[in-house]
Amino acid sequence: MTPDSAVQLQKLGYECVIESGAGLLAGFSDALYAEAGVEVVGSAEELFATSDIIAKVRPPEDAEIELLTPEKTLISFFYPASNEALMEAAKSKGASVIAMDMVPRISRAQKMDALSSMANIAGYRAVIEAGNNFGRFFTGQVTAAGKVPPAKVLVVGAGVAGLAAIGTSTSLGAITYAFDVRPEVAEQIESMGAEFVYLEFDEEQTDGAATGGYAAPSSPEFRDAQLAKFRELAPEMDIVITTALIPNRDAPVLWTKDMVELMKPGSVIVDLAAERGGNCELTVKDEKIVSENGVTIVGYTDFPSRMAAQSSTLYATNIRHMMTDLTPEKDGAVNHDMEDDVIRGATITHEGEITFPPPPPKIQAIAAQKPAEKPKELTREEKLAIEKAEFRAQTKSQVTLLAVGGLLLLLVGAYAPASFMQHFIVFVLAVFVGFQVIWGVAHSLHTPLMAVTNAISSIIILGALMQIGSGSWLVILLAALSIFMAGINIFGGFLVTRRMLAMFQKS
Amino acid sequence: MEGFTTAAYIVAAVLFILSLGGLSGQESAKRAVWYGIFGMALAVFATLIGPGSGFWLLSLILIAGGGAIGVVVAKRVQMTEMPQLVAAMHSLVGLAAVFVGFNAHFELGRVLAMDESARQALEGFAAVLAHKTPVEVNILKVELFLGVFIGAITFTGSVVAFGKLAGSVDGKPKQLPGGHMLNAAAAALSLVCLIWYFNTGGFFPLFLMTLAALFIGYHLIMGIGGADMPVVVSMLNSYSGWAAAAIGFSLGNDLLIVVGALVGSSGAILSYIMCKAMNRQFVSVILGGFGGSGEPAAEVTGEQVAIDADGVAAALEDADSVVIIPGYGLAVAQAQQSVAELTRRLRAKGKEVRFAIHPVAGRLPGHMNVLLAEAKVPYDIVLEMDEINEDFPETDVSIVIGSNDIVNPAAQDDPNSPIAGMPVLECWKSKVVFVSKRGQGTGYSGIENPLFYKENTRMFFGDAKKSLDDLLSRID
Repeated sequence: MTPDSAVQLQKLGYECVIESGAGLLAGFSDALYAEAGVEVVGSAEELFATSDIIAKVRPPEDAEIELLTPEKTLISFFYPASNEALMEAAKSKGASVIAMDMVPRISRAQKMDALSSMANIAGYRAVIEAGNNFGRFFTGQVTAAGKVPPAKVLVVGAGVAGLAAIGTSTSLGAITYAFDVRPEVAEQIESMGAEFVYLEFDEEQTDGAATGGYAAPSSPEFRDAQLAKFRELAPEMDIVITTALIPNRDAPVLWTKDMVELMKPGSVIVDLAAERGGNCELTVKDEKIVSENGVTIVGYTDFPSRMAAQSSTLYATNIRHMMTDLTPEKDGAVNHDMEDDVIRGATITHEGEITFPPPPPKIQAIAAQKPAEKPKELTREEKLAIEKAEFRAQTKSQVTLLAVGGLLLLLVGAYAPASFMQHFIVFVLAVFVGFQVIWGVAHSLHTPLMAVTNAISSIIILGALMQIGSGSWLVILLAALSIFMAGINIFGGFLVTRRMLAMFQKS
Repeated sequence: MEGFTTAAYIVAAVLFILSLGGLSGQESAKRAVWYGIFGMALAVFATLIGPGSGFWLLSLILIAGGGAIGVVVAKRVQMTEMPQLVAAMHSLVGLAAVFVGFNAHFELGRVLAMDESARQALEGFAAVLAHKTPVEVNILKVELFLGVFIGAITFTGSVVAFGKLAGSVDGKPKQLPGGHMLNAAAAALSLVCLIWYFNTGGFFPLFLMTLAALFIGYHLIMGIGGADMPVVVSMLNSYSGWAAAAIGFSLGNDLLIVVGALVGSSGAILSYIMCKAMNRQFVSVILGGFGGSGEPAAEVTGEQVAIDADGVAAALEDADSVVIIPGYGLAVAQAQQSVAELTRRLRAKGKEVRFAIHPVAGRLPGHMNVLLAEAKVPYDIVLEMDEINEDFPETDVSIVIGSNDIVNPAAQDDPNSPIAGMPVLECWKSKVVFVSKRGQGTGYSGIENPLFYKENTRMFFGDAKKSLDDLLSRID
C-alpha cells in the first residue's frame, strides 16, 4: 500500500495499518503513511493480529500462515500450482486467500492484474539492465567523431513484458525485432514500432484465445523452425531479451548455447524467464554471467524489486482495485462474492476449502479468432457440372420462350391480315434488337440513355407531320400541337444528352 | 418519292440502333448521340418531302419554335434537376401520342364517310386509310385506341412524377379512398370503352377512355413514394415508347414502330434493373408502398455517435483508401462540387479515393454518375456496387453522403426488414464509416438503419454541402 492508495482504501470504509518500515525501500517513510491516516505498527505479528485483511507481495511464509484465522483474508502472490503445501496449511486455518497471480485475464480484471503490472516493469527494466551492460548507444548517430550504428534488439515473446521491452527499446532508438509464437500479436508488435519476425511455417497456429491469451507449447517441428530462424538472426543482434513463458511449465529453451557463441562479443542477453529455468541455455538464475565469447547474460529474477517505487505504486493500485471489487457497498465490510468471475478466479481457499483451480471464467478472455471463411474450392469437375447445368437451364428457358413466342406469332398470323403481319414482324424484331442492345449500356450512362431514348421517342412527330396536311382544322390544330411538343423534345433531349456526356471525363 | 422515304426510314432506324448501342461506353457514347441526331433529322426530312405531308412551312416553323424552347431548357437545367426534366419530356411524348391518336380517329371517320370516287381522289394519310379493308380498319381502331390509352397514362403519370421530383407535389405515397380498386375500375371502364368503340367507332367511348387513362396515370403515380422514382421514371420512359409503337401501327409507319419498340424495351430493361437492385417485384413497386412481411423489424439498439469536421479530417489524413457513397441527399444539397474538390485534394495526397454507386442511388437510373461527372470526377474511379463491394474490408474510411437504404445492413441481417434481401453496399465492413446526414431521422423510406448505430460508424450531422465545405477548410 502507498499513502495514496491508503486514502482510497479509507474511502471504502477501511482502516489501514502498515508494518513499520514497509515502504522505506520504495521511498515511502512511516511519517508519510501516518500523514495519510495509516496506523503504523511495529511488527508483522502485531499487524496480523490487528487486521482482518492482510495484503502482501510475496507468498506467505509458514510462520505467517500460522497467524491466520478463519475470519481473516490474505491477499498476495501465491503461485498455488507449485505451492500446494502452503495452500493446504492456509485451508486448515480456514482463512480466505486471494492469489493476485490468479486474477483471470478478462477486461474487467485488468485493473487488478498485478502480473501484468509487474511484467510491464520487468520489460522496461530488462532494456535498462541491458543498456547498463551494453557498451554502445542504442540509437544510431552520425557525429563529428564518426558514425555510430544503431543497436539491434530482439525481443522473444510478446506478452506484456515483451511489449513493454519493445516500447522501451524503440523509444531509446534501437532497431527492434520481435518474435512470438502467436501470429495474432504481430499487429501489437508492429503497433509498438518493432518489426515482427515472420516464420515461414504453415502448421495450424494455436489461437491465443483458447488459452486465455497465453502461449501454448508448440510442436517439435515448429520449435525447430523457430530455432533455425533465431540462429540466422543471432550474429546480427546486439541485445536479446527473452520473455517466453508458458503457464505452469518450465520456460522453453529458445536461445541455445551455439546461438550465444554466434553473437558478437559485448552483446547482452537479458533472460526474463530465469525464474523458470530461463529461455537461454546458459542463464544462471539471479546472476549476471559473461560467456566465453564475451556475451553478458543477465538472469536476474527481481526486476520489479529493482524499481521498488514504481512496482509498489502499481501493486498498491492493483490491491486497491481488488478491495474495491470486494467491497461493492463501500461500507468497510468484505463481501466475498464467489459468483463473481474475478474474485472466484483469484480465490484459492475460502471457508476451509481449497477452491483451486477455479472453473473457467464465464467470459472468454479474448474473443476467439473467427476462422477465416474460405469459400469452398470447387473441383474442376464440379465447376464443369455446374456450368453444364446452367447452360442446360438457359437453353431450356430460351427454347421454351422461343416456342411460345413462335406459336403466338403463328396464331396471330393465322387470323390477322398480311398488311398487319408485315408491321408486326418489324415490331417484334425491333423489340428483340432493343433488348439485345440495351443490356450492353453501361450503368453509369443510364441517365443519358433515358434522355436519348426520350429524344428519339419524339419520332411520334412523323405521325403528326403526316396528318397535318390532310383533314379538318381540328386535325391540323392537334397535329400542330404535337409537332410543337415533339420539337421541344427532340432538341431538348439531344442537347441535354450531349451536355451530360461531355461531362464524363477520364482521370 | 415513296421509295426514297422508305430507304431513309431504314437508314434512320439503323442510326437509332447504333445510337443506343453506342452508350455501352463513355467515349463511344459521345459519337452515338450524333447518330441519333442525324437519324432524327433524316427521318423528319424524309417525311416532309414524302407522300402525305402538307403545310411543311408551318411544320418547320413549329419544329423551330419547339426546338428553341428545348434548347433553352436543355442549357438552363441543372444536373440535379435531371429527373424532373426527363419526366417532363415524357409527358410531352405522351400527350403528342394522344393527339396523333385522336387525329387518326377523325381522319378515319372522314374517310369512311366518303364514297368510292371521293376516296380515290384522296392524298396522303387519308389515302392510306382509304385503301384499308374492313378487317384492317378494325385492327386500326384497336391500335389507335391502345396508343391513346398508353399515351394518356404516360402524360398524367409523367406530370405527377415531375411534380414529385421537383418537390411541388408531396413525395409521400398518397391514394384516394378506394386505392387500387379505383385504378382497376378505371381500367375496366377502358376495356368496356374498347369494345364499345370497336363496334360503333364513335368518338365518345374514345374520349371516355382517355379520361379514365388520364386518371389511372395520375392515381397510380401518386401512390408511389419518392424513393421508388427511378423505377417510375424508367417505366414511363418505356410507356412513351410503346405509345409511339402503337401509333406507328395505326399509321402504318414502320419507323415509328421500330423506334417505339426500341424505346419501350429500353425503359423496360431499366425498370427491371432498378427493381432487381431493390430486390422487389415490378408489380409491388408499381402498386406502391412497401410490402412488409407483417412481423416487426428488429429493434435497433445502441447509440449514434456524432463527430465533428476535425475528427473526420484527422481520419481522412490517416487513411490510405477512401470510398465515398453518394445518395439523393448529395443531389438535394447540391454538394457534388464539394465532393469533387475533396476527392481532388485527397487524391493529390496520394490516397486512393473511389466512389461506390448503388443502382438505385438518386431519383433516376445513373443519376449519381451524371452529378459526379458534372463536378468533373473522373468516371474511372466511379464504380458500381458489384465492382466495389468486395473491397470494403480493405478500405480505411467510407463516407456516406445523403444515402440511407442502399447502405442499410438490415437488408442482409434482418429477414423482417422491409428491404430484406435487397443488395446493399457493405460499407460497414470498412474500418470507419462517416455518415453525413441532415438529422437523426429515418430518411425517405422510414426504415431504421442499424448502420448508424454500429461501433465503427460516426455521424457527421448537418447539410451535406455545409459539412463538406467545413471539412475542406481543414484539409489542404
